[in-house]
Amino acid sequence: MALRHDQGIVLRGYPFGEADRVVVLLSPNHGKLRTVAKGVRKTKSRFGGRLEPFTHVDVVLYEGRNLDTVTQVSVIEAYPRLRGDLDKVLAAGTMVEVVDAVAQENEGSHRAFLLLQRGLSALETGPLHDDIVPAYLLKAAEVVGIAPALTACAACGSSDGLDRFSLSAGGVLCPQCRSGGAYALRSGLVGYLAGLVASDLSSLPPVDPVLSKDAAGLVRRFLEYHLDRLLASLAAMDV
Amino acid sequence: MFEAPVQKLIDELARLPGIGQKSAQRIAFHLLHVEETDARRLAEAVVEMRERVRLCARCFNVTDSEECSICRDLRRDPSAICVVERAQDVVVVERTHEFRGRYHVLGGAISPIEGVGPEQLRLRELIARIEPEGVTEVIVATNPTVEGDTTALYLARSLKPLGLTVTRLASGLPVGGDLDYADELTLGRALSGRREM
Repeated sequence: MALRHDQGIVLRGYPFGEADRVVVLLSPNHGKLRTVAKGVRKTKSRFGGRLEPFTHVDVVLYEGRNLDTVTQVSVIEAYPRLRGDLDKVLAAGTMVEVVDAVAQENEGSHRAFLLLQRGLSALETGPLHDDIVPAYLLKAAEVVGIAPALTACAACGSSDGLDRFSLSAGGVLCPQCRSGGAYALRSGLVGYLAGLVASDLSSLPPVDPVLSKDAAGLVRRFLEYHLDRLLASLAAMDV
Repeated sequence: MFEAPVQKLIDELARLPGIGQKSAQRIAFHLLHVEETDARRLAEAVVEMRERVRLCARCFNVTDSEECSICRDLRRDPSAICVVERAQDVVVVERTHEFRGRYHVLGGAISPIEGVGPEQLRLRELIARIEPEGVTEVIVATNPTVEGDTTALYLARSLKPLGLTVTRLASGLPVGGDLDYADELTLGRALSGRREM
């Protein structure tokens, strides 16, 4: 049992006991950390709002048998502007949900951490880009090793006539490899998706209203299919 | 394992929030040794609460009649509604003696990560109250958490086009607190919401 230092982005928390909260953090070195913040739900808690979701914090943890206890917290980045915009909060919710789904405990997750950090920074600093969530999801797929094939047929590697997309094959298909369950793609969508993959989250290409909608739907279905779970944050806001 | 009736009670008590096996055992043996009338009174209180208490048809606060006592009180200002997450929060706001309007209990807060969207809350019921009750102001008293703030932003977006004044409880330093321990977010909000003296 000892004190140790770590840093992470708060993914979520849930009430625990009378006034405590279990806070789940994503640490670049140790992956997902489940910690207990004692008394954090009391208005006079010394932790205050430092352990709210999306906050990047430096923490001192007291190692416990099951859960580590947070003894000190200092904020590295709080993303205050993000929190004042409903659409940005919802986008950040999806970003957090995806890394929460793919990150493991006690397993370094540098790339997932950096991706989340870049995603939150892009939301904080600029106006909300309509494609930020699909672009983030595509990059998350890459981090986990399930990036969709977009430049060559997922079955044979050919780069001609890629106008179908198969969830099970893991990307675009050429006319020879078409299968029954593959989606027909609108012209230009493959290039549009590749553009999102290649761009930085803070400098995404201009939005094409028609392709943007298709891209969002396709990327969401792809991620849900391969993660084998529905993205609750997107489903919650489907009205 | 204890004798069946004792063990049954221990198991039931241990299912309650914050009560483990050891606490359940202590309570069960306490109840075994108190006067029978005391134990019976506790059992009757639980049964009575479950049988009589329901949700207010108007604001979804807990009540033992069709509408809660606040909604029935004609002295309350019908033009202001204070929106809270849970029925327990009504009592907390009432204790301040600062609010003379009525309430609306949402039944939670929007939490995209947990899959709780606006459809799972009583937002439609809130909007349905606006016109018939002549509401002009909605005070959003959800918790100052990401979920509570998201709910407040969503409410503001839905209600402002109806011509309502939507206000949010101020965030800031707790009375008796120490500035030294204030976090950046809270202190930032306290600064931006400062008042002239």
